[in-house]
Amino acid sequence: MIEKQTKASKDEEIYKILHPWVIKWFKDKFDTFTESQRYSIMDIHRGNNVLVSSPTGSGKTLTAFLSIISQLAMLSDMEMLEDKVYCIYISPLKALDNDIEKNLEEPLSQIEKIAGKKLGIRKAVRTGDTTQYMRSKMLKTPPHILITTPETLSILLCAPKFREKINDVKYVIVDEIHSLADNKRGVHLSLTLERLQNLAGRFTRIGLSATVHPLKKVAQYLVGFEDDIPRDCKIVDVNYVKQLDMKVLCPVDDIINSDPEEMNNATYELLDELVQSHKTTLIFTNTRSGTESVVFNLKKRFEDKYNDDNIMAHHSSLSKKLRLEAEKKLKNGDLKVVVSSTSLELGIDIGYIDLVILVSSPKSVSRALQRIGRSGHKLHERSKGRIIVVDRDDLVECSLILKNALEGKIDEINIPQNCLDVLSQQIYGMAIESKHDIDTAYMMIKRSYCYSNLTENDYLSVLSYLAGEYTDLEDRYVYAKIWVDYDTNMFGKRGKLARMLYSTNIGTIPDRSSARVKCAGQVVGHVEEDFMEKLQRGDTFVLGGKIYRFNYARGMTINVTPSSGPPSIPSWFSEQLPLSFDLALEIQRFRAIIEGKFQYGRTKEEIMEFIEEYLYVDHNAVNSIYEYFREQYLFAKIPSNKTLLIEHYKGFGDRKFVVFHTCFGRRVNDALSRAVAFIIAKKYKRDVMISISDNGFYLSSEGKIGGLEAFKELTSENVEDILIKAIDKTETLAGRFRHCAGRSLMILRRYKGNEKSVSRQQIKGKILLKFIKELDNDFSILKEARREVIEDFMDVKNAKRVLKMIQSGQLEIKKIDTRIPSPFAFNLVSQCYLDVLKYEERIEFIRRMHQAIINQINAST
Amino acid sequence: MKNETIYGAKIIDSALQIGDYLIISDLHLGYEQALNSDGLMVPRFQYKKIVKRLKQITLRTHASTIVVNGDLKHVFGRITRQEWKEAEDFINFLKDEFRDIILIKGNHDNFTRFIAEKNDLEVEDYSSVENYFIIHGDKIPLSKIKQDTIIIGHEHPSLGLKSGERIEKIKCFLKGRWQSKNIIVMPSFNFISEGSDVLHEKSISPFLDDISEFEVLGVENFEILHFGKIKDIIEFKNR
Repeated sequence: MIEKQTKASKDEEIYKILHPWVIKWFKDKFDTFTESQRYSIMDIHRGNNVLVSSPTGSGKTLTAFLSIISQLAMLSDMEMLEDKVYCIYISPLKALDNDIEKNLEEPLSQIEKIAGKKLGIRKAVRTGDTTQYMRSKMLKTPPHILITTPETLSILLCAPKFREKINDVKYVIVDEIHSLADNKRGVHLSLTLERLQNLAGRFTRIGLSATVHPLKKVAQYLVGFEDDIPRDCKIVDVNYVKQLDMKVLCPVDDIINSDPEEMNNATYELLDELVQSHKTTLIFTNTRSGTESVVFNLKKRFEDKYNDDNIMAHHSSLSKKLRLEAEKKLKNGDLKVVVSSTSLELGIDIGYIDLVILVSSPKSVSRALQRIGRSGHKLHERSKGRIIVVDRDDLVECSLILKNALEGKIDEINIPQNCLDVLSQQIYGMAIESKHDIDTAYMMIKRSYCYSNLTENDYLSVLSYLAGEYTDLEDRYVYAKIWVDYDTNMFGKRGKLARMLYSTNIGTIPDRSSARVKCAGQVVGHVEEDFMEKLQRGDTFVLGGKIYRFNYARGMTINVTPSSGPPSIPSWFSEQLPLSFDLALEIQRFRAIIEGKFQYGRTKEEIMEFIEEYLYVDHNAVNSIYEYFREQYLFAKIPSNKTLLIEHYKGFGDRKFVVFHTCFGRRVNDALSRAVAFIIAKKYKRDVMISISDNGFYLSSEGKIGGLEAFKELTSENVEDILIKAIDKTETLAGRFRHCAGRSLMILRRYKGNEKSVSRQQIKGKILLKFIKELDNDFSILKEARREVIEDFMDVKNAKRVLKMIQSGQLEIKKIDTRIPSPFAFNLVSQCYLDVLKYEERIEFIRRMHQAIINQINAST
Repeated sequence: MKNETIYGAKIIDSALQIGDYLIISDLHLGYEQALNSDGLMVPRFQYKKIVKRLKQITLRTHASTIVVNGDLKHVFGRITRQEWKEAEDFINFLKDEFRDIILIKGNHDNFTRFIAEKNDLEVEDYSSVENYFIIHGDKIPLSKIKQDTIIIGHEHPSLGLKSGERIEKIKCFLKGRWQSKNIIVMPSFNFISEGSDVLHEKSISPFLDDISEFEVLGVENFEILHFGKIKDIIEFKNR
């Protein structure tokens, strides 16, 4: 059973189970136990699985390790400590691994001192960076506590000798579990743990998490299933102990009528003021380019205050050296301010931070809490966070983040299910370990939370792929990774290079590289690989605040010339974080309340008072929100969780826009908009332009497109099929397919001693996709790429929920016509289109494009 | 269907017909093996397609001589039997279909000579048919070209068409001038990829320098589409 641990143990109870040396050391060092220790140490001691969700400064390392260290000390005292691994600690970051090793150093050496004899409790970090020498040393004298990453653990399972050292492991600790569970790395880890359990028998699973919701789901992810029932797990939630000091700040009095220049100046003034009144500030932006721009502007605007010595950027595109330097300077307290995109969200040790500033919405409550939780390292210190808003939609969003954070309502985590690419990789690993019975292996895989409802069909299709059954029999020796014998019901590895191939190619994080952007021979910046893929000659885009026209690409360098006018590729396109569905619903709920207040004729004062109380925001913010909503109310109608507003707006040159005020987040809107556009495109054979945002989407065309009628054709039953057809020709699918093919080891990054460049993988991914589509439209990897696009990149599940809300009448559609866009539609309509959708066969497409080009050429001559 | 020609040579899908001669270029047999050793585990799949398409073409042309204008085989690494097999099978197929076979050397054809010799064929540096000079196009010959029209391969020209998020490439012929001669650039006769986009990628053949005045004739499953000059297409895209 998965249940909350409600009993906090008393000091004496805990001391009773600890070894005297450990008690002595602990008492010398601490007055008493922290809350998270009180709730978890006894369970860990008893061998129960535990998921601990606790804030920074709650003594996380000892929560997980104290009882384990005590056990090891006892074994050593009794001279029963064997040369094997007792505990495996797994974290998503090598840096975190190194931190933990350091944190264990002190207790281990001091306990040894107290014991007055050599205890010989060993710990070691093992990652991809570990040298051959260290690895062979570890084999001779294995660490009792092995500190590693998810990927390295799965490689160790295939190492014939080291495997034996971990085949009796008693404890597995998964740190920062929230940051793994919501992506394919976590899916991969969940199977690795089942492989480990298959080898070592039952062990105690300990998960450490930041604030996440629902904990029950994450606990199930941690422990998996046994006979279709979740294994037992205790949940410890002690997030309440840390006080939250969080505010939303609006840099100007009136955000609706301020021009961008004014807004920008005020934002930097405010940033400077906040930074100067604190010791060390951590600023989060949502994008890497945003990070760069904040650093640049603070230095430029306040030359006397900020320079290379006291301000630094920290994001994943920076070199490892620069990041380490920033971390070191932070720890030493040398930096006044550090600016990051997402890289400092995780718990690596960065020393003392007394203020976290978020520039614009972090798009989800959990992300806001994780970021703000990086401040105030001591437990009884408050976490202090300020969110600075950048526009009116941002203001509404951030205000609701504040409300929900303060009230402890956190968005639901999405854990990917049945990823067939990760499954391929893991089955290959299993085959390398040993021969397996097909059915027994299937049962084992289904013990992972992420595969608990894997169909036998999908499982067998992965086996068939790995066995190379898609190729001619005579060629199979080249392509088959495993052999499958359906008569004896067994499978096993194939080829001498299998282990080497596996260990050099596993992992779930796709290789991404950035391309250099050159203008007149000078490098002016970098763009992401995905971004580059979409560029066509003549496209214009923003880089470092300037607009450039794309000329051509040569390898991983792209050539541009300066340009002007609105960019044809939106700058937010690649890295923007999507608004969480739960938060979007909260915004809609708030909208409904305010709409009601206007309808009942409440006075301005009454409504403003309500907003202030409901959202916990200051007067400036209340005023801006009131005005924004009033404008929309007077103009048309406020879209909300009761009313889905569809706005027909006629733009310049009679261009027609159908604006759907679907505030459900971009991922849902991406799914809905493409499905509707697909229906329209099939019916009217006309180009439909799509644009999406977190608050809605629009479709636009030169003639009537019947957007509303098409939308009504969409149901929770047919949306998935329609969407799969709609994404079939997109670059998004092609890109995801390449990543999936990499994870399934159909594209090998490292093969025959060579590293394959990402740009070459791209071209080859397309060749492969073409081949696969002709071969079998249901090929497991293609199926997975589609699933990833519609479930992970988009959000078809919640799109279905929205459609159900409409079908049940809970959400009512209202149509309005406007000559100028309504205030809520304004931000959306002013944004350029994302895609033109028209469904047609290849030859139809070619003929149409041919005609368009010819017409144009004839017209100009 | 009306006959489409470039400088008098008839376009039949991605092949050219001059009288009794049929010209194809850049087959790159065995490209899959090269992809394999590069870590992309795609099995052989284009051989069957090449043979099928060539059969469709010969049904329409009834030419008695086939000219392979270079790069019959993609690469000979370790010369395994498997690797030879496709090239040999193909030459046997050509022998059955045509009276004469002319093989022209391409930059990938280091070892094609051995297969040719085994089958009593030779590999020429270039060839000529009527008033056409046929050469692969990776090098300019030392001797003077007497014919009025040059036919080259090597470039694998294609045209990328983009609308919104969708991009489709189609194979194309290029029609233009080199010095005082006419020049025709043929598309590749393989099915691994459409080729390199003439709007994006710089040309590689020494016969081609500035191709902006070249005309593009797209081919898709025997359909021929005139696109006009490259510079005009670029202008269209930049609008």
